[in-house]
Amino acid sequence: METYQIYSLTSAVLFVIGIGGVFASRHFIKKIIATIIMGGGVFLCFVSFAERDALSFADPVPHALVITGIVVAVASAAFALALARRIYQLTGEESFTNDK
Amino acid sequence: MSVLIDSILAILAVYLALQCLLAPRLTQTVFIFFAFGLALALAWVRLGAVDVAITEAAIASGFLGVLFLDALRDFSFTAPNKRENLEAVHDPLSRNDTKSLLLPRLALWLGLGLFLLIALEAVWKIPDGGGLTAAAEALLPESGVEHPVTAVLLNFRAYDTWLEIGVILLGLLAIFAVGGIKLYRKPGVAADDPLLRQVILFFTPVLFLFGAFLLYFGKTGPGGAFQAAVLWGAIGILLHLGGRPVFSVIPRWLGQLLLTVGLVFFLVLGFLLMAGGGALFEYPPAHAGVLILIVETLAAISIAAALTAIFANLNQMKKEEPNEIESTN
Repeated sequence: METYQIYSLTSAVLFVIGIGGVFASRHFIKKIIATIIMGGGVFLCFVSFAERDALSFADPVPHALVITGIVVAVASAAFALALARRIYQLTGEESFTNDK
Repeated sequence: MSVLIDSILAILAVYLALQCLLAPRLTQTVFIFFAFGLALALAWVRLGAVDVAITEAAIASGFLGVLFLDALRDFSFTAPNKRENLEAVHDPLSRNDTKSLLLPRLALWLGLGLFLLIALEAVWKIPDGGGLTAAAEALLPESGVEHPVTAVLLNFRAYDTWLEIGVILLGLLAIFAVGGIKLYRKPGVAADDPLLRQVILFFTPVLFLFGAFLLYFGKTGPGGAFQAAVLWGAIGILLHLGGRPVFSVIPRWLGQLLLTVGLVFFLVLGFLLMAGGGALFEYPPAHAGVLILIVETLAAISIAAALTAIFANLNQMKKEEPNEIESTN
C-alpha cells in the first residue's frame, strides 16, 4: 500500500466524520469544528493526490490550492463564530432549538 | 516501516476527529481540536507538503484554536443549568419525543454509512491524470522564484491569491457587521501580570524576525506570505491581550491602509501589467522575483492586520454588553 493511498482513504473517513458531526452535534462550536474537520478531509485528499503525481517534487498546484483553502476556511469559520457569539449574546441559545 | 508510521498517524487523526466531536465538554473539544490540527500537520509533512503543514499548524490549528478558546469564555460551559441541558441532549431516552427522533437518527446513521462506502470507493478509484507537476517544473525558471509552491501561489495562479486576500477582508467586514461594535477604542489598561509583559517584550521581536525570515525564505523553500502573516498576526494578538490593542494605538486611516494595502497593490500591479501589454498578473520574467517579494510583503502585512482585527473584534464581543449576558445566565 502506497503512502498516498493510506491518506486518501483517511480523507474520506475524516469527511464523513465531519459531515456526521455537522448533523449530530448540537452546540454551535462543535458544528463549526465539524465543518473544519470536513475541510481537513478534502484538503488531505488533494495533498495525497499531489504526492501521487510527484516527479522531482510533489504537484505544487494542489498544495497552493490547499493553502488558499485553509485560509479561506479559517476566515469563514471566524465569521461563523462571530454569528454564533452574537446569537448567544442576543438570545442565550447555544444551539439551534426547535422548541420555540 | 513507513507504512506503519503513516497508518498510526492516519488512525490518530481519525481518532482525534471522533474524540473532538464526542467529547462531553467544550473545553475538551477545543483542546482536542488543537491536537487534531497538529496531527494533520504531521500527515502533511509525511506527504511532502511542508508549506501546507506550516499553514495548518499556524492558522487552522493555532489561530482558529485561539478564536475558539476565546469563544469559550462566552459560552457558559460550566453553568449547572446548561450542563443539565447537555445531559438531556446526550441521553435521548429521557426525552419524550424519542420515537419521533428515532427514525431520523436511524436514517442519518444509515445514510452516513452508505456515504462513507461511496466516498472510500470514489477516492480509491480516482483516475491517474498525471497532474500539473511537469507543467510547473517546465515553467519554474520563468517564475522568478525557486520554490514551486510559491511560484504557483504568487505567479502562475496569482489571481487565486489576490482573491483570497479579498476573502479575508470580506470576512473581517462581515464580522464587523455582525458584531456591531466599534473596534477603534481607547487603549485599555496595560496588563498587570509581569509574566505577560515579559512574554510580550521577548516574543514581539522574535516573532517579527521569524516571520520576516519565513517571508524571504519562501523564495527558495517552504514558507511565504501566509505563514509570515500568521506570525505577525500573533504579535498583534499578543499586544491586544497585553492591553495594548494595535488598532486603537495607531490612527484610524493607518489601520485601514494596513488592512487594504495588499489587496490594492496587487490589483494596481495587475492592471499596470495589463496596460503594459501582458495578461493580468503576468510578470515580466526579468523582474518577477522582485515583484513577487514586494507583493508577498504587502500581502503578509494586510493578512496579519486582518487576522489581528478579527481576533480583536471577536475578543471584544462580550465585554460590550456584560449585563445582558449575565441576565441570560
